[in-house]
Amino acid sequence: MKRKNDTWLMALTALSAVLVLLALYLALAGAPEANLQSETGRYAQRIIYFHIATAWVGFLAFFVTFVGGVGYLRSQKRGWDIVALSSAEIGTVFMLGVLVSGSIWAKPAWGVWWVWDERLTISLIQFLVYVGYLMLRASVDDPVRRARFAAVYGIVAFISVPINFVAIRLWRSQHPLMFGSEGGGLGPGMMFAFFFCLIAFTIWYVTLMAHRIRLERLRDDAEHLKQRIMG
Amino acid sequence: MGYLVAAYAVLWAISFGLVFSMVLRQRKIQAELQTLRAMIEDEPRSERK
Repeated sequence: MKRKNDTWLMALTALSAVLVLLALYLALAGAPEANLQSETGRYAQRIIYFHIATAWVGFLAFFVTFVGGVGYLRSQKRGWDIVALSSAEIGTVFMLGVLVSGSIWAKPAWGVWWVWDERLTISLIQFLVYVGYLMLRASVDDPVRRARFAAVYGIVAFISVPINFVAIRLWRSQHPLMFGSEGGGLGPGMMFAFFFCLIAFTIWYVTLMAHRIRLERLRDDAEHLKQRIMG
Repeated sequence: MGYLVAAYAVLWAISFGLVFSMVLRQRKIQAELQTLRAMIEDEPRSERK
């Protein structure tokens, strides 16, 4: 059974690697150029394919952390806690990617690395909130209390996701709106590359989750063996 | 062009950092598991002596 799972995981890893490489090709060369005057602007526009896909994974990961938290509080099963922890860790790393790639895009687009705009500020706070989630977990020794505290924290922290999503619409932020009532910010040729990146990154997230969950299961096995030796 | 390269380089570096840290942790735990299993297997033998 274990060998079958390993084969499945290897196949998923290979698939996601191929898809992410294809997404990279589409983002850098395959997608048509943006209709912008400056050459720098046209190049910078290609950052958004991975920037948005990374943000999507961050939001998805935090939603899964929320679901894991609810699942744990309802059932007290360790499996839900593992899902929540794994997803929060991956989501936090992806949010760091969003902040950095967004900042690099902002320099040629806005002329500055960072502005204290609503969307950017909320994204930074969201990242710090989930760093706090991981720090909370690291600071509680008792596994049952740790799981319970983290579940509540993960549920409350998820509020940052809808707030972040609607920030551009609510406060007329400087951040560009990709999809709104006035139409999308991408041409038809770019849409394919955009959605391909979203799908590739979603599968990449599932792969990372499978590996991270496996890691946590191994850690649990080690803990059980230690307890057995201690008597 | 420089900004594009920088953005993708950073995103790849962050992704590889995450994967690398998971591989390192997995190796460490697998080594720990091997040691613990060896200790459990040795236990009955030492009791027999």
